[in-house]
Amino acid sequence: MASSIRTIRLLSRSTGFFRNSSCCLASTRLANVSEFNQRFLHTIKRTSLPALTQNNTDQQVKRVRHYSEKPPLTVKFITDRVLLVLKLYDKIDAEKLTLDSHFMNDLGLDSLDHVEVIMAMEDEFGFEIPDMDAERLVTPAAIARYVADKEDIYE
Amino acid sequence: MASRKVVLNLYRDLLKESKKWASYNYREYALRKIRHEFRQNKALEDSTKINDFYNKGLESLEMLKRQVLIGNLYKTDKLVIEMQNK
Repeated sequence: MASSIRTIRLLSRSTGFFRNSSCCLASTRLANVSEFNQRFLHTIKRTSLPALTQNNTDQQVKRVRHYSEKPPLTVKFITDRVLLVLKLYDKIDAEKLTLDSHFMNDLGLDSLDHVEVIMAMEDEFGFEIPDMDAERLVTPAAIARYVADKEDIYE
Repeated sequence: MASRKVVLNLYRDLLKESKKWASYNYREYALRKIRHEFRQNKALEDSTKINDFYNKGLESLEMLKRQVLIGNLYKTDKLVIEMQNK
């Protein structure tokens, strides 16, 4: 058996054709599950040392999953973020900016600027705003309410 | 006839595409150029001229998509000025 494996390995090294089959053989040698687990844990230990040193006695790896968790949003927080993004936009006068100021009428932006504001909001909150909705979002308050609706946040 | 809505859509698509560019210089140039060109021609009334510019914009969008893809295949390290923000 051992000699046949050796010949197969030799062949696979030269041809590359047997590479798959020799992989199968290699994995069957690991059929002993506990041995496999030990090796597995060993590799984990090597890659993530600090996590395991606290818990060295039982060689169990405890997994904590966060599933892309993010801090809970509130309407206030969303409003603040919307206002901050707008304040950082160079064509908006931060002193004139209020929650209900109209982008075109009060702040003097044109439709090109409006497109950029909407794009900045998309970047900030991480989702796309379709054109149909973007047309209606002409005040900071409208944007904040739209985002809150999207994220299912109600007061 | 390229309507207002269609033109704004093109503007948005162009900006979005250029933001994908990894190379700082090309990216900033593209953004600056797009903003400048649209702003320069925003008061245009002549519909044939608008159509001409619109078609030019569409062509540029195709070119941008191509070049962004190729540029990102051969991207280099970030510049020093980009590091400061991170």
